[in-house]
Amino acid sequence: MIHANPNKPVALFALILIQAICVTFFLWDVLEDARPEGIGALANLHIAIEAMAALCLIAAVMFETRYLMTLLRRKSHLERQVSVAAGAFHDIIQGHFDRWKLTPAEQDVANFTIKGLSIPEIAALRGSAEGTVKSHLNGIYRKAGVTGRGALVGLLIEDLFETPLVKDNVLEVKQQA
Amino acid sequence: MKSYKIWDPLVRVFHWSLVAGFTANALILDDDSKIHEWVGYAIVALVLLRTLWGFVGPDSAQFTSFTPGKAEVIGQISDIATRRRRTHLGHSPLGALMIFNILASMLLIGLTGHLMTTDIFWGVEWVEEAHEVFVHWAELSIIAHIAAVLWESRRTGVNLPRAMITGVKSVPDDINLVR
Repeated sequence: MIHANPNKPVALFALILIQAICVTFFLWDVLEDARPEGIGALANLHIAIEAMAALCLIAAVMFETRYLMTLLRRKSHLERQVSVAAGAFHDIIQGHFDRWKLTPAEQDVANFTIKGLSIPEIAALRGSAEGTVKSHLNGIYRKAGVTGRGALVGLLIEDLFETPLVKDNVLEVKQQA
Repeated sequence: MKSYKIWDPLVRVFHWSLVAGFTANALILDDDSKIHEWVGYAIVALVLLRTLWGFVGPDSAQFTSFTPGKAEVIGQISDIATRRRRTHLGHSPLGALMIFNILASMLLIGLTGHLMTTDIFWGVEWVEEAHEVFVHWAELSIIAHIAAVLWESRRTGVNLPRAMITGVKSVPDDINLVR
């Protein structure tokens, strides 16, 4: 996961595209089959199973899309940091972000602010107005229950002392490789 | 807001005539009518003209200027994933993929449609089926295209439909621009 294959997002994107096409086809097929009888057609076991399969595929596509988005966020946050420690630290931060229910935009702003970037710098990197960044920051501090950047970083550092950065199993994997 | 003249008249006229032609043939005109055939041939001619323009036209119309690599496609999806605002002055990478998809679909629809009129393939079932499958594919693609244009206009603050009418892209000051 840490030394991720750069082609992984591309392959995932292609997979999502192909499955989305399949979903459309199957859904259309089910609707065509069910059209003469309406919702009652689900009483037909074959049509019911077809509908279930199509719904499962839709769920899979949604799951994969979410995963692709997470993968790409992680990639853009770790762009220049490929060490095991950076990856592990990122996972700890991400755990907090998920618990605080930060939006994707807030997560991006939080990452930049932890790295010490100023509001104008973050605004320039994200292509947004400074006011927007400020409102994201307010949201982050409110959800994290801290008063400002210092307290936010403090909270994360505190965790670092308690959690071993490099997990044993990660080391084993690295040694095997 | 900064304004950039980006789409030349041929690109715009092509876009909206294709909209008119495809809508007429797919939704309005009788499939068996003579005019359906002529509109179909007109669409093929338009696509061929656009293809030629993709080699000899101005920079923003040239295929080489907007054929995206893997990194660009992933870059645009990353922008969406992180809610970073970056816009492309020309066609965006995902938009470019849709262009190639629609151009190819139109040619395949035209080809299968033409085959249906020839002595050899007249009344052959698979040709007719293929024609319909490609039309359905194009319809789905167009729905996806419209949804994506609305989504990207909202995300980036650049009014893309207006740019395709006037040829001018108005880009907000705070957004990052990819040329």
